Amino acid sequence: MRIGTFKETYVADAALFDSRTQHVWLGIAAVLLVAFPFVASDYWLYLACLIAINVASSTGLNILTGYTGLVSLGQAAFMGLGAYTVAILQARWGTPLLLNLLAGGFVAMVGGMVVGIPSLRVKGLYLAIVTIAASFIAHFLFANFSITGGTTGLSMQPGQLFGAVLDTSFRLYWLIVPVTVLMLLGAANLFRTRIGRAFIAIRDRDISAEVLGIPLLQYKLLSFGLSSFYAGVAGGLWAYFFRVVTPESFPLSLSIFFLAAIIVGGMGSILGGVLGAVFMTLVPEVLKLIVDLLPGGTNLTVFLSPVRLVIFGALIIGFLVFEPLGLAEMWRRTRRFFHLWPFRN
Amino acid sequence: MAQQRISTRRRSIMLTAAAAGAAALTQPLSVLAQGADEIVIGGSIPMTGVFAFAGVGINAGIQDYVKIVNDAGGIKGRKVKYVPEDTGYKVDVSVAAFKKITSQNKVNLYYGDSTGFAKTINPELDRNGSILMAGASFATELNDPKKYPHQFLVGPDYTEMFGILLNHIAKEKPGAKVAFVYSDSEFGRDPIDSSEALAKKLGLSVPVKIMTPAGSVDVSTEVIKLRRAAPDYTIFHGYILAPIPEFITQGKQQGMQSKWMGTFWTMDSSTVMKMGPDGEGFMGVMPYRYYYDTEKAPMLEKIRAMRPEYQSTAYTQGFLAAMLFLESAKRTLEANKPLTGDNLKSALNSIKDFDTGGLIGVPITISGNSIPVGRVYRADMKAQKMVAASDWIKL
Repeated sequence: MRIGTFKETYVADAALFDSRTQHVWLGIAAVLLVAFPFVASDYWLYLACLIAINVASSTGLNILTGYTGLVSLGQAAFMGLGAYTVAILQARWGTPLLLNLLAGGFVAMVGGMVVGIPSLRVKGLYLAIVTIAASFIAHFLFANFSITGGTTGLSMQPGQLFGAVLDTSFRLYWLIVPVTVLMLLGAANLFRTRIGRAFIAIRDRDISAEVLGIPLLQYKLLSFGLSSFYAGVAGGLWAYFFRVVTPESFPLSLSIFFLAAIIVGGMGSILGGVLGAVFMTLVPEVLKLIVDLLPGGTNLTVFLSPVRLVIFGALIIGFLVFEPLGLAEMWRRTRRFFHLWPFRN
Repeated sequence: MAQQRISTRRRSIMLTAAAAGAAALTQPLSVLAQGADEIVIGGSIPMTGVFAFAGVGINAGIQDYVKIVNDAGGIKGRKVKYVPEDTGYKVDVSVAAFKKITSQNKVNLYYGDSTGFAKTINPELDRNGSILMAGASFATELNDPKKYPHQFLVGPDYTEMFGILLNHIAKEKPGAKVAFVYSDSEFGRDPIDSSEALAKKLGLSVPVKIMTPAGSVDVSTEVIKLRRAAPDYTIFHGYILAPIPEFITQGKQQGMQSKWMGTFWTMDSSTVMKMGPDGEGFMGVMPYRYYYDTEKAPMLEKIRAMRPEYQSTAYTQGFLAAMLFLESAKRTLEANKPLTGDNLKSALNSIKDFDTGGLIGVPITISGNSIPVGRVYRADMKAQKMVAASDWIKL
């Protein structure tokens, strides 16, 4: 039973993980993540990598939208910037993988900061439209320049890390998941710093934040930059994962996917971004598994495929109606239940 | 006591769920269930999403041919199993389906749903080395046996489709002016540059090339541009239906005398008939016979006996893909070779003057990655049918 935590120092109070129970669970999670590739089939490994990429990008969007309160529908475009940077560097110059990923992140960061400039003047839906425009511009650039391969896009050789050729989901897992975990830790730590708290202050009331001495434009641009950096790295991982990048790889609907992921997961919570991305990626697949388990063979697949989409949509609506704070809040309530049990349940 | 029973039940439910989860993760069950001698066709099929209209037909076509083969005893005594998955026409979902199907079955043949998927999965096919793949895409890029050694197209590629149309035009009206109208997508832009060069080679001129957003509605400015160029023929590519009817209607209202043409995905009978009276005379390239064609075609008769209602050209495409898949498997097994990607592909490339049972009107030869043959059909709105406007054209 654990009914409270007792802290004696400020350091303990501000710790990223504040209790022994949490440490134990994180340890178990780490062991599971390490053991997973050795027991999972190729299909589940593929999904794990895809989920990790989506988690990285959602977390980036969560920094911008969830923590800083700036709506963006350009996350897929920034992912595209990262993916193209990586593909060009890899295909043309064969530069090292980690350098390519960083370069992808920084190019997307610059793109994000440029798009973020109007954020001082416009907010909400207006900013959403600005970011949509960014995705159209990015699509145009991808489709019309020879360096990006035009509409055909770019194909690339598998990446190499420490001499290993990353050409299977198993090998890619050891790149994608650690990078995502690092990015998650980075994001979680960000909100223990001055910068992260400034983001939250801007989200809660930007005028008050400015009165407190937070330079709005600087921090808003920083938020855009960080968010796009996450998207860029996620896009780079995406490029290594699929090894083909085309202008149609990053449609507007992908940005909506990430926005939906952080809304369903819980905005302004790192765990929310993770849970949302897992939910959005996995639920359609789980629904497919359920359809497959029903007797009826391929005819049933044809019949139930559209029904599956309806159920997926209904699930999202259901979550938003019954738990607007998202899956992260459900998780918090579950934790609270166990903290207080057996005194209150 | 009651509390304890409930918690025991809960625990057993959780244990069962955990066991089911572990089984789902490793998923060897269905592989064990698979007969050792089965030939497996996997499929990333778009049964939902923007391409569902074709996916449902493709799925039925593959299913029917597999049934015909299994009813006749299979391939050299081996039964054929078809395992489709819905993809919603999304590349990542398609790849997930591929991974799922290949990790649960020993797949020999695979049907993919898009150019993006074909390109994305190609390294995996090369690495895996045991699968031959075809798909719904006719992208010119895929028609390269060196780059895509384990894939093929179930018909001519988009450039070859243009080639068939341009050859027909050059014969019908030498020196004609041909306009290209295409969508701003990979699909739309695919054959444009190479076809412009071919048109010039055939003595035709291309006075205007117009690119529009895919599925755009307001095309009035583009129609004015087209009218100024006064083409004898206008070829649409990269669309299914919109904005083609709008172009034709406005073009006719403005007195244009052009003949209007389309490529495969526009040319299904049900799609063309949606153009209404202005679609009269709409022409285009079709690599297969239509469901209702009256010329001798025993396989079409078989299809009509199985399915009395109209079947789309996407159905024929799926059906023919399965036929070529299993012909390749048959030839490989007859040569006492294992069913590897390389063996299946060389068996496919050994196909010479092959009779498709009338699905394609002439015997076919597959020397590379495509079947460069097709015919020009024309819409007869009164009869609500597509009728042949040319003989079969081989490139």
